[in-house]
Amino acid sequence: MRVEHEFPGWAEAVEACFERGWTDGLPVVPATEDAVGRFLAAAGRAPGDVALTESTRRRTITVEKVAINAVMAGCRPEYMPLLLAALEAMADPTFTLHGAITSTGGSATLLVVNGPIRGRLGLNAGGNVFGPGWRANATIGRAIRLITLNCLGAQPGLLDRSTQGHPGKYTYCIAELEEESPWPPLHVDRGLPREASAVTVYAAEGPHNVLSHYGETAEAVVVALADTMAALGSFSPGESFIVLAPEHVQILARDGWTKPRLREALYARARRTRADLKRGGKLAGAVEPGDETVWVHRGLGPEDIHLVVAGGGAGGHSAFIPSWSRDRNSLSVTKEIRIP
Amino acid sequence: MTIKILDPTVSAEASLDTAVAKRVADLDGKVLGLLHNGKVNGDHLLDLVRERLAARYRLRDVIVIRKASASRVAEDTDLERLARECDAVVTAIGD
Repeated sequence: MRVEHEFPGWAEAVEACFERGWTDGLPVVPATEDAVGRFLAAAGRAPGDVALTESTRRRTITVEKVAINAVMAGCRPEYMPLLLAALEAMADPTFTLHGAITSTGGSATLLVVNGPIRGRLGLNAGGNVFGPGWRANATIGRAIRLITLNCLGAQPGLLDRSTQGHPGKYTYCIAELEEESPWPPLHVDRGLPREASAVTVYAAEGPHNVLSHYGETAEAVVVALADTMAALGSFSPGESFIVLAPEHVQILARDGWTKPRLREALYARARRTRADLKRGGKLAGAVEPGDETVWVHRGLGPEDIHLVVAGGGAGGHSAFIPSWSRDRNSLSVTKEIRIP
Repeated sequence: MTIKILDPTVSAEASLDTAVAKRVADLDGKVLGLLHNGKVNGDHLLDLVRERLAARYRLRDVIVIRKASASRVAEDTDLERLARECDAVVTAIGD
């Protein structure tokens, strides 16, 4: 049922949103009926249509609630189809939405956008791709967070029990720089046609920088990537996202590397001994004879490593993004974005 | 001029099946269910519960079920079996 609240003016409405606990700690845009109407029109869906259901928390999120939160986040109406596709992906049982937004592990939902919609919405895939300055990236990621807070009850300290969380919980949305990639983009890896627009959701830790400036060979890039992936802190059998800088992917392609070869190499090299895992408190129990020669890999196979290209033209800085999920509890999901 | 804004929140839906199960007076001759959440040490916690309860009551049987994943809800078939076969169920998270 639609509930309206009336205030003397704009500033009072902004303050009221803080007081009611409807924000992420930053000011929101008050969601007037006019604004929400424009967002619903752009969505091409009825207000009462269901965007997402979550059975553990017994929540049903309608398209109207998505529109209200999108207005509050500062979105433009044309972002609605992307938001609805992201929520459809988050509702997929393999994503395990309830756990992903609750756990002490403190994940944020990373959105990776592919296809022609990137240009139409003005999504940044280039320099400072994880940083500020682009309305579409900033407000789409923020809208997902506001929906998580306002519609799924994931208020910090209540149902969100993150031990530390990370800054991506404010907003975490990037686009792939398909034009600078010598390889097929992420959504094509996931079985969609290249001309489709798509969003991939991933319950993710923050990005770990992989700096490799001076090797200037594919081998050097692979060594640095695999070493970062093998670090104990985030080591697990979960998925990995690698966001390759244009400079790094150009070196890899120049030296004859393909996506399958890179996945194979990273899986083979991103490994630790069982003894290391025990010494680092990643496995229970004392180190036993034999543990020094038993190797454990990150992920269950090369297919658990997802490769995306994004970032500025200068600089050997790629990123490794570990999954929140320590095993198969939550897997990344890709959905096509349908424009009405 | 006043401004009217819409409420962004969604509440949990009332569920028809959340009534508290009938309490049992004791566990003598009863079937105890133990549902292990899947987190480390949950099994040890439940072992202790089982030990304590077995010392106090003459349990007819104990059914132990372990969830495949701590992050996911229990399988419907497991919940149905616990509801069908047990008089009381204890669950533990461990960790």
